[in-house]
Amino acid sequence: MNKKQADVPDLLQIGGGLNSGVSREVSQQTGVPEAQVYGVGSFFDLLTDTDKKVRVCTGLSCRMAGADQVLQAMEDAGLPAMGCSCLAACDRPPAVLRDRDVLPAVSVEDVAQAEGDWTVLRSEIESNGKSWLGHVGPEVDDPDTMAINLLGRADWSGKAFAKAAKMRPEEIIEEIETSGLQGRGGAGFSASFKWNAVCSEKETTRYVVLNGDESEPGTFKDREILMRRPDLVIEGLAIAAYTIGARDVYLYLRGEFAFPKAVMAKAVAEFESHNIFPDIRFHMHSGQGAYICGEETALLEALEGKRGMPRLRPPYPTEYGLWGKPTLIHNVETIACVPSIISGGGDWFRDLGRTEAGSKVYCISGHVEHPGVYELPLGVTLDELVEEAGGYIGTPKAFSPGGASSGFLPAKYRDQPLDFETMDGLSSLLGSAGVVVLNDTVDMKWSVSQQLRFFHDESCGQCAPCRIGTRYLHEALENRICNREQGHKPHLQHAADVAWQMNEGSICGLGQIASLPLTSAQKFFPEEFDE
Amino acid sequence: MSKLTLNEQTICFAEGETLLDVASRQGLEIPTLCHDPRLEPAGACRSCLVEVAGERLMTPACARVAQEGMVVATENERIDRHRQTLMALYMTDHPHEREISEAGSPDLLLDMAAEFDAPMDWGWMEPMRGDREDRNPYVDFNPDTCIACARCVRYCEEIEGVSAITLAGRGSHTTISTVEEKSLLDTTCELCGGCIDVCPTGAMNEKLPLMRGQKPERELVKVRSTCNFCGVGCQLDLNVDLEGRDGQGQIVKVTSPPPGTTTNDGNLCVKGRFAYDFVHHKDRLTQPLVRDEDGVFHPTTWDDALERAAEGLLGVAERHGADALGFVSSSRCTMEENFLVQKMARALFRANHVHQCAAT
Repeated sequence: MNKKQADVPDLLQIGGGLNSGVSREVSQQTGVPEAQVYGVGSFFDLLTDTDKKVRVCTGLSCRMAGADQVLQAMEDAGLPAMGCSCLAACDRPPAVLRDRDVLPAVSVEDVAQAEGDWTVLRSEIESNGKSWLGHVGPEVDDPDTMAINLLGRADWSGKAFAKAAKMRPEEIIEEIETSGLQGRGGAGFSASFKWNAVCSEKETTRYVVLNGDESEPGTFKDREILMRRPDLVIEGLAIAAYTIGARDVYLYLRGEFAFPKAVMAKAVAEFESHNIFPDIRFHMHSGQGAYICGEETALLEALEGKRGMPRLRPPYPTEYGLWGKPTLIHNVETIACVPSIISGGGDWFRDLGRTEAGSKVYCISGHVEHPGVYELPLGVTLDELVEEAGGYIGTPKAFSPGGASSGFLPAKYRDQPLDFETMDGLSSLLGSAGVVVLNDTVDMKWSVSQQLRFFHDESCGQCAPCRIGTRYLHEALENRICNREQGHKPHLQHAADVAWQMNEGSICGLGQIASLPLTSAQKFFPEEFDE
Repeated sequence: MSKLTLNEQTICFAEGETLLDVASRQGLEIPTLCHDPRLEPAGACRSCLVEVAGERLMTPACARVAQEGMVVATENERIDRHRQTLMALYMTDHPHEREISEAGSPDLLLDMAAEFDAPMDWGWMEPMRGDREDRNPYVDFNPDTCIACARCVRYCEEIEGVSAITLAGRGSHTTISTVEEKSLLDTTCELCGGCIDVCPTGAMNEKLPLMRGQKPERELVKVRSTCNFCGVGCQLDLNVDLEGRDGQGQIVKVTSPPPGTTTNDGNLCVKGRFAYDFVHHKDRLTQPLVRDEDGVFHPTTWDDALERAAEGLLGVAERHGADALGFVSSSRCTMEENFLVQKMARALFRANHVHQCAAT
């Protein structure tokens, strides 16, 4: 095992991306064969097309808000531009990535003002050269009803950690179990189960990893948590590390989160200056642009400096994780719940929820008045969430409860609890709770096509069902939309079989759910798919 | 001894065995494309998925380690549907025509699609992984027939320790590449051709027969031989077109016997695999020659040739002493032959000047 390999993505970034000769330099610095370095670089969007300095988000919310016109204006103005996958800024669309900074709500006028110079491209919302903060609700500081409490003041005292440090690891895990905390990254998997699993391993070198690779279209909650409550994230990681006996904690943040990363680095320094977590080392890593690295085993591969291709399971990361050691990986929101659970108790946290445990940070975007993140009891309905967000714009027609992966549900389910079990029962997912609302001005086929293109772009390519299937479905739907379903071209009549193969045959969750936008829309809006 | 249930039979297995190992031992055929017993399993081609009772997802038999009490099915309706739809999907990304896809190599994918009676009417998608020119003389790569299973990449890294090639790109653009798409000649590649040998679809292919139009319709006959380029003793199969060269027979390519059957374990080097031209060369020595007093070589018998050589050498020793003699053997000799050369030098001619050309 060559631990220097972990530096490969960073060194490629320092070298300016995958330009001629850079692979050789990085190979010489790390001892990783040149071809492998090249293979790693070619996997990541931020290391390839290095001349494209501005990238326009082509996510559903951004395209509904005119991303296409912004990209066109950039091309017309001679800016080095291209489209890219979701930038986790669906609340202020359309978003643009300028080098590594995300600019919200970029207009055609903003593009005109740059006068062909990408370095001076600005967004009106962007202030002081810093990233912006999104809209947050409810607009109160109330630590009693919200576990994260986004508007609360940062707490650098480490008092939750101090309390945990007086408890035995089993007691902490018991508290987590009582809290009913489910993973907030998408799968809704029981958190305490993972903690227990790591603790039951014989191997004593263990790691904690933070999954901050938020890239599910429609999702931007981790961005807000990282920027507003970095204290909770770091303290939660410290408690997890203490519990499982880890000394090293790795924070993996998506590469487009330059500003949240800076905030986190400052937070680590703040705690370190008071020596709050003396035995724990925090290591920051940047992603390089690949949605799949939000999948936990792909993330581990990327952390090790390899192509972000998911691993076969079993073994699971709790047994064979980072560098083969037992590893506890959690999403940003999940880990940020931990300090409150320790301080307030598991029972308190559980009772914050309505149908399932805890308060939940929902993202909402699309056709609502105030897109943003809202921390509400887990299990509120779409109607309640939208009410917090100022109401619907127009007549709601469909919604995605948990990002692109969750497919589409008809608006008639607006009175159903937005929780893991209910959404599962509707053959959808609460997922990352990145809720996107579509009103009746939106064409379903067009919407589905945006999601299918996303999965086609973001499939890692390792296994055939996903690599070929995502492309097939995307092309088949485009052929239907453009009336060119003739000859040998992919045809929607095979979509059900292709979807079945993707669900059954793919290695990881991406391929297993990538057909859902299409199959769910065909199920609930069949009339829109008639030939 | 641990036990599991395989297709309703109780089977014993050793610790560490995969489900594919166990099934193969029972004579059960599980299809594989990306699997190679010499490599770490990748589970990427998905053709070997089997069902383990109690698990939501099917699991790759090549990678899944057998566990006590597992109940495994390798044949059922779900697995049949999986194999059919997987092959049908592969076919949308792969040339259906055997002539295009094959180009002189077997294509396990097409065989498998036919075996499982996969639907072939799902259409096909335009190739998107652009072709590449590579001036190297031996290895041809056709991205359109590549299924990105990375068997070649893993072989190059894990067996050869060369890592000249890599998976590159992402998603539907995923392909096999060298660093910056350079020619193999400008990389660490040793042109061993192992990538050709392990490729299940013929995407990695030999240039020599292609360049020379030597892709006979006729079936090739494999003739087992020992490589004579060095002393290791690799076994190789000369693939002979018996009707080539006006019926004299012609070697069209050289392949290695399957892994696990000979000392070279399925491997060859650049010489063994590609340097077979000399066999049919017009200048090749095929019988002993002795230079007569007229100064010209004349064919003769081995007995005569050896006698003349012995006479000459003994004459030198007689006239100038044994120290005037030196013996240099070839690196193409085996260890046993090299031993005999030094024995001849020392015991017969009493000479101590013995060398072998690879020893410098």
